[in-house]
Amino acid sequence: MNLSNRILNKKLTECAYKCLVTFSTKPIQQAPAAAAAATTSPGGSQTQQDAAVSNNTSPARKPLVPPHYRFVYPEFLPDPKIEWRNNIREKLERLDMLDRRRQIDLPEFYVGSILAVTSSDPHAAGKVSRFVGICIHREKCGLRARFILRNVIDHQGVEVVYELYDPTIQKVEVLRLEKRLDDSLFYLRDALPEYSTFDENMDAEHLEEGTPVPVNDIKVVLRPRPWLERWERQNLLGVANIDQYIKEKHRKSALKVQKPWEKFDLMKQYRSTIPEEEQKEIFAEVHTELHTLELQRKRNKRKRTFIKPKQLA
Amino acid sequence: MAQMLLRNFSARRACGLLLSSQKQQQETCGLHTTPACCEIRKLARLRVVDNSDLGKRAMAEGRPPRCIHVYNKRGVGYIGDKVLVAIKGEKKKGILVGLKQNQRPKQPKFDSNNLVLIDDNGTPLGTRIHVPIPTILRTILKEKTLAKGADYTKVLAIASRYV
Amino acid sequence: MLRTVISDLARLRLGNGSVSITQVREKGHLNRPRLRNPHWFLRKKRTVHDDFVTSENRNFVKEVLHHTYNSSALTRDEQTHEKKLTNETIPEKQPWSQELRRCGVIARKIGQYPLWLKNGEKIRTTLLQVVDNHVIKYVPPEEYRPTRRPNVPYSKKYGCVLVGAESTDPTLLTKEYCGLFSNSGVMPKKNVARFMVSPQSALEAGTPLNVRHFRVGEFVDVRGKTVDHGFQGVVKRHGFKGMPASHGVTKTHRRPGNIGGGGEKGRVWPGTKLPGHMGNRWRITKGLRIWRINTKYNVLWVQGSAVPGSTNGLVYIYDTILPLRKPKDAPPNYEDNTLIEDIWFEQVHNFKDESITYKPE
Repeated sequence: MNLSNRILNKKLTECAYKCLVTFSTKPIQQAPAAAAAATTSPGGSQTQQDAAVSNNTSPARKPLVPPHYRFVYPEFLPDPKIEWRNNIREKLERLDMLDRRRQIDLPEFYVGSILAVTSSDPHAAGKVSRFVGICIHREKCGLRARFILRNVIDHQGVEVVYELYDPTIQKVEVLRLEKRLDDSLFYLRDALPEYSTFDENMDAEHLEEGTPVPVNDIKVVLRPRPWLERWERQNLLGVANIDQYIKEKHRKSALKVQKPWEKFDLMKQYRSTIPEEEQKEIFAEVHTELHTLELQRKRNKRKRTFIKPKQLA
Repeated sequence: MAQMLLRNFSARRACGLLLSSQKQQQETCGLHTTPACCEIRKLARLRVVDNSDLGKRAMAEGRPPRCIHVYNKRGVGYIGDKVLVAIKGEKKKGILVGLKQNQRPKQPKFDSNNLVLIDDNGTPLGTRIHVPIPTILRTILKEKTLAKGADYTKVLAIASRYV
Repeated sequence: MLRTVISDLARLRLGNGSVSITQVREKGHLNRPRLRNPHWFLRKKRTVHDDFVTSENRNFVKEVLHHTYNSSALTRDEQTHEKKLTNETIPEKQPWSQELRRCGVIARKIGQYPLWLKNGEKIRTTLLQVVDNHVIKYVPPEEYRPTRRPNVPYSKKYGCVLVGAESTDPTLLTKEYCGLFSNSGVMPKKNVARFMVSPQSALEAGTPLNVRHFRVGEFVDVRGKTVDHGFQGVVKRHGFKGMPASHGVTKTHRRPGNIGGGGEKGRVWPGTKLPGHMGNRWRITKGLRIWRINTKYNVLWVQGSAVPGSTNGLVYIYDTILPLRKPKDAPPNYEDNTLIEDIWFEQVHNFKDESITYKPE
């Protein structure tokens, strides 16, 4: 609970910025006003930058990338394995990713969010198939980025792997934007089915703009052993009843494989992450493009909400 | 031994079991219970998902069919493959309509290894499949129908839902 | 019997006397120098002494460099396009035919990523970047002396084109090595390779080579040095299964086991798979299709992930020798200045296009 609170606080500050960006999307006359309003907030410099660009008055400043981009677009960061890195390859890959993102709206989502993916399927009757499910895993970077959706349909657990940049994907909708306590939710396979059952005709839940991404601190109940993995060794936060099923020997062996010193291993951390300076460089390259796409998405959303009452009437 | 297995299996199959019975299972269970096989080869336990009388009874008794032959050259069954199963002391043929092993992107992966029983002509024994089946089966079974002579597409006709 | 032996001996002695004139040595080929290194195999790196050069002198060296090479020398990853005229003579260009062998290029393997075809299928591609290539020299077939005389009667069909890649600072190189480049007018290069070409398709020294050497949809062979794994056992090197971890097995878990039969064949046969050095060999992957070309960064997208070598390693790209995949049209024209930055093969889905949909029947 404490942890989720902390995350909430962090998100709040980030989203203060988000709000301001929406103001700056309005016509040019309002932009300076928005910029003026922005100066007081932590994320203000970015809006100022936008205003400056639209007015063409002040000299161009180096764009400041919002800090949450690495969570929203994790696949833009390359594989940190040093032997596989190459600047030109990464750049070309990023250009291709942006090209694809211009064609299709790939929204922000996290492990634990509920998505609906519409993809063209040559085998299906209408040549289109739609799958709703909870995202239990996100992996790989660049054009290989993929995620796994899970749902229980007719009391049968089903999982589908989707590649984020696959051109056969027609639409990705986020039905409920939220996070969970863990980085991957493979334990849902061993949990009771109600924890991964989602209605296929679920409506998208609208999240107020500017609110932080909520963290769902639900604790799932596991089925008795045998399990697919040794969950007791993975220090999971989102599981309620793990102690109920493990014996003393499991507990002991779990203790044995713990590596509590790893969080102090700076070298390991360095090798498994992209340094902050490089992240800044990468996002500075794609930031303007991503930002315009975001703005466009918001505009479209507003349009859609405007049309709705018409349909009702 | 057989009874033990039976109890374990039924316990695992029924997910929303009462806690007391779970406890009981833990106490009585001295056997090592393995999860379902991730690959369909000989002696892999399967789950019948149609409403055929034979299949229903076998699953209710907790004696799921075992694969005793895979009709392809690899010896490992993939989606849409025909298998021979031992079910309630009989030999029956079936078609795999859902697998637990990892699939290609956009192909669904299921939590159990699903089977639909058929006779020699490809006519299913049941009249309804009560779980979703992957859409790729349409293409696979159509191809097999052309190649093998038996009409497997009747399995598609009794499906209730596609994923 | 005895008589014949004696007569044989006598004949031998007689023969010995006469052989001193018509001596035939059967193993004469052993005396021949087996390997003569080509003339461009020179020591590349100079031993740099710490001789306290003043900043003025250093600037002077830089100035001289700029003066001699007259280019934005030493800008990294830049293709230098200037072409200098030399008085070397190359044969007249002749109309293209399928039998002609063209020059290849030197490239770097810069990574791999997936592309999708228009039918929704995913393909794996390797990216090869052609790195600042220039022709350094052409040696016509009559003058070219190969490192090793081939066993087949050498018909002197092909000349040799020397190609260099990646300009570098000449002050770090030896004088002899820099001398290789003096006639061509290009900057000294880090890497040099030779390509055997038909005399009709010879190239002039100083000609820049880039990705427009190839066309989308054609097939290439890629030669590279495989990743060095060092001395490896049989399980890693040849994919043997090893032996069980337990059940009474001792000391033979990853060993090859039996390596030969007994009796008449009681020896280890040549070619038996045994432990040894793995990788670090030159290998050619043949018949890879070019799916896409980027002319700005000089990058080829080539089928598959089986290109030998590690990422950022050097590879050589040739036109394929597979008879059914040889190019059917004349190679693209270098002077053609209608530049498209990204060229896609018609079957590949361009990321700028809309999502793939299938038509209902």
